[in-house]
Amino acid sequence: MQLFIGGAYAGKRAEVRHRFDNLVWHSAYDEMALEDWRASMLPGATLIVEGWERWLAAALAESDDDDRIRRHFAEALGSLARAERDHGLQVVLIMLEMGRGIVPLDARERRLRDLAGWLAQDAASVVERVWYVWNGLARSLR
Amino acid sequence: MIAFVSGGARSGKSRYAESLARTWQAEAGGELYYLATAEAASHLADTEMARRIARHRHERGEDWTTLEEPVSLDVAIEKVADQGTVLLDCLTLWASQVLYASSLNEGAAVAMLRTVMHEVRSRALRLVVVSNDVNEGLPIRAAEVQRYVAFLQHLHHQVVTEAEVAVQVIAGCPVAWKGSVLEKGKLKGVPPCVP
Repeated sequence: MQLFIGGAYAGKRAEVRHRFDNLVWHSAYDEMALEDWRASMLPGATLIVEGWERWLAAALAESDDDDRIRRHFAEALGSLARAERDHGLQVVLIMLEMGRGIVPLDARERRLRDLAGWLAQDAASVVERVWYVWNGLARSLR
Repeated sequence: MIAFVSGGARSGKSRYAESLARTWQAEAGGELYYLATAEAASHLADTEMARRIARHRHERGEDWTTLEEPVSLDVAIEKVADQGTVLLDCLTLWASQVLYASSLNEGAAVAMLRTVMHEVRSRALRLVVVSNDVNEGLPIRAAEVQRYVAFLQHLHHQVVTEAEVAVQVIAGCPVAWKGSVLEKGKLKGVPPCVP
């Protein structure tokens, strides 16, 4: 499993398209639920999972318990890592860096920013490689 | 030769870009040009902006020829003599002036930037482009802001693709993304941290 992280419009998708073949997208931007990722799975293909900030925003609207949300997403990451191993596919996570601006006034936006940061850390701890994408270039951090 | 230098607010990117421009100018031997996208005269009423411009000018030193051009970079680049090294500061402000204070659309602006880079190539000038990374905070949902960030990032990609050197500045220190190599723990091809 690999993680690509970077700011908005940094060129994350283009970088993934450049590095992997046979891509299958499981995307929150296509109104897909995170839980349904198994339906997008295809042996031998590269499964791209993206739009995590949308799934986080939906989760924090449902629950006030950030620790529980964090655990829930960490478990999803674990399942993805296991599926990769068990089903002979490659999983690529695309996440949005959003922690570098000023602290938002709105509590829900602060929670989203926190959860996105924790999620990225949790993802980095279970993937083999971490890539930071900056202005159309990618650098391996690990 | 073209370089792209970006980073956060007060990351030292302007000072770093100046030291890169001086390094290049020492090699090329021509004049140093400061191509400012901010017009000092139009900011006289804005004390904060006037101070900001004065501070940049003072820190740069006296040996720069200043060209001020809020939009028409293609006109400005024609004023540069052969062998010149140009520091363009900054793309962020240019992008906002293109969108909000000019008759150019995004496509025409990208074409203008490409014309400038082509002119740099064909006349063997040296160009250092300074910009800001504004895309790593919480996304702002307002459509105008989204449009601006997308446009600025598109400009960044255009310059980075064309550039020999791309540097992200953090606390005055360069993280080299393109055009230099680490040799025995030292950066080759771009200057080190500014003192």
